[in-house]
Amino acid sequence: MSQITLTGVSRAFGKVGVLHDINLDILDGELIVFVGPSGCGKSTLLRLIAGLDRPTGGVIAIDGKDVTTVPAADRGLAMVFQSYALYPHMSVRQNLAFGLENARMARAEIDARIAEAARMLEIAPYLDRRPGQLSGGQRQRVAIGRAIVRNPTAFLLDEPLSNLDAELRISTRAELAALHERLSATMVYVTHDQIEAMTLADRIVVLRAGRIEQIGTPLELYNHPANLFVAGFIGAPRMNFLPVKVAPGGAGQSSLTLDGSAGFEIDGNVSAANGDVTLGLRPHHISLADAGKGDVAARVALVEALGSETIVHTRTSGGQTMLAVVAGQCQVASGDTVDLKFDTSHLHLFDDTGLRIAVS
Amino acid sequence: MGDVRNGIATRAGAMILAPVGWLAKVFDAPLRMLQRRTGSNGMAVFFLAPNMLVFGIFVLFPLVINILYSMTGGGALFLGERTFVGADQYGRLFSCGSYLDPKSCTEDLFWIAVWNTLAFVVLQVAMMVAVALVTALVLNRELRARSFWRAVFFFPVLLSPVVVGLIWRWILQRQGLLNLMVFEAGGTPVNWLVERNWAFTAAIMVSVWAHVGFYALILLAGLQAIPKDLYEAAEMDGTRPMRVFWRITLPLLAPNLLVVLVLTLIRAVQIFDEIYVLTGGGPGTSTLFLTQYIYEVGFASMLRNPGLASAASILMGAVLVVLTLIQLGIARRNEQRGKMR
Repeated sequence: MSQITLTGVSRAFGKVGVLHDINLDILDGELIVFVGPSGCGKSTLLRLIAGLDRPTGGVIAIDGKDVTTVPAADRGLAMVFQSYALYPHMSVRQNLAFGLENARMARAEIDARIAEAARMLEIAPYLDRRPGQLSGGQRQRVAIGRAIVRNPTAFLLDEPLSNLDAELRISTRAELAALHERLSATMVYVTHDQIEAMTLADRIVVLRAGRIEQIGTPLELYNHPANLFVAGFIGAPRMNFLPVKVAPGGAGQSSLTLDGSAGFEIDGNVSAANGDVTLGLRPHHISLADAGKGDVAARVALVEALGSETIVHTRTSGGQTMLAVVAGQCQVASGDTVDLKFDTSHLHLFDDTGLRIAVS
Repeated sequence: MGDVRNGIATRAGAMILAPVGWLAKVFDAPLRMLQRRTGSNGMAVFFLAPNMLVFGIFVLFPLVINILYSMTGGGALFLGERTFVGADQYGRLFSCGSYLDPKSCTEDLFWIAVWNTLAFVVLQVAMMVAVALVTALVLNRELRARSFWRAVFFFPVLLSPVVVGLIWRWILQRQGLLNLMVFEAGGTPVNWLVERNWAFTAAIMVSVWAHVGFYALILLAGLQAIPKDLYEAAEMDGTRPMRVFWRITLPLLAPNLLVVLVLTLIRAVQIFDEIYVLTGGGPGTSTLFLTQYIYEVGFASMLRNPGLASAASILMGAVLVVLTLIQLGIARRNEQRGKMR
């Protein structure tokens, strides 16, 4: 297995920059996930690592060796494509063997590797079928099998679950995690689905408009988002954002005033240039309080009862939309007025440039 | 500005469609009455009738007449004035000492035309498929001015076969453009259209030039339908370019290649117009093909024999029917394979 290092990597198509100054160390045996909205450059970055595309600037190194201009086939990497990219006219066995035959590997060795991968991925019964005769999940396994048999130094996976239905996606996600554990392989995984990123990753790289917004473990990103974008992108339902005024409060405290005059105090000093900050609070950290005992009153716009929890969509008197996730089932209905209580130990503050403000 | 343009476009559209709406209103009541009387099946027949009538007059009727002609003899033009001879015309066509030696046949020109056509079909089809494939592969690459090159290769398809024949006659004739270039280059001019082998080669080259754009287009569509991911997967697998071509491109292009092969076959069997203009079937009978034989026996020769020409055309039609059935079979199989993928 191997370590992949990106130093100052950039990619432009004509005058349009797609990736800008990407610096990243992917550790040996790590499952790192590139996540971000469509067009953020995550797939382009993966293709640069794969060697299917060349950067316009910077250096890509694998185990310390500069591979920036090395052809894809010579990088020792294997890729699982979003569309699976299985050769439709070949059987599963031929698909698995194709890359090994290119390397002029002995037939016995090819057969042994195919048998091992087929056993590991439980695709042995389908070896003589063509991809068109397989279900989406089975094709997905074959695509992974084709990567495994090559015994690569690292696996590159480009949205491998996006063509599966919701149920199959969850089970395949778990299988991928188990596979990573078993192979201890370096894996670079691209997805736009933050739940996939949270559940699979050792570390997540959040990308936006070709730049890295934050790198960290899933919980680091969830608990300490570096900016408004990461805060909004990681976590479901999305974090609530409210404009607030901050002012020094009592001893070692700061006073936050919401639009519409409601306010509360938090522990710690907050320094903001003109006192205008954005408060971020995850829906799970807002509860429904008894009348008059909440931090802000709001009118219920929509109730989504999921059984184990209830998502309450509300609108404050200042016109701000706020979501609260309440454990279990609660008896509120659209049009009701409720008091929302904030768990201030979990709130996040961001300055007017969108960066996180430390509470000292 | 956009609103103004939209307004004008809407008004123009309404003006154009107004007579259509008016006609629809006029015919609405009688059509409804017809549907009440005849039912939906009757309406289907009613709407199909004009097309069926055209098909009947211009396709079905001539076909039946042609079959009847092939069973009659003499030079009279009208069927009623012709004598019934049964299968004699077919017998005459097949009356041969050896089919491989046209001179031993009663209708030697027919067998010369058959063997010429067969040789033409084999060589032209092979060349057409090969050139179309290479052209499509080149046009599928990231070329500078790719659309321009695609248009250049497709342009001859738009020309009338007569124009094609005239252009190439101008180029290939004794004092034509090609010989001028050969002379300028210090070579000895060649009588391209007078020497048998050169004339036959020219016939093949010209027909390939005239039609290759069409077949290249079919193959180009096939190449573009192959997902790029497959090539990238092959690249990750370390596949050499020639192996990519043989193991990925060619098998995935096979359905389109089959279509091209069968269509080329059908057209090669029917070859006539551009070669007739180019060589007139000569020198001698070296570029006399089946359709020209039928045309000359039926209409152009001094001793015209419409019955014999009809019999030859029925035989050629039978070959074309077989080829067309093969093409339909392939199309169906491709459709089923497409569903499987």
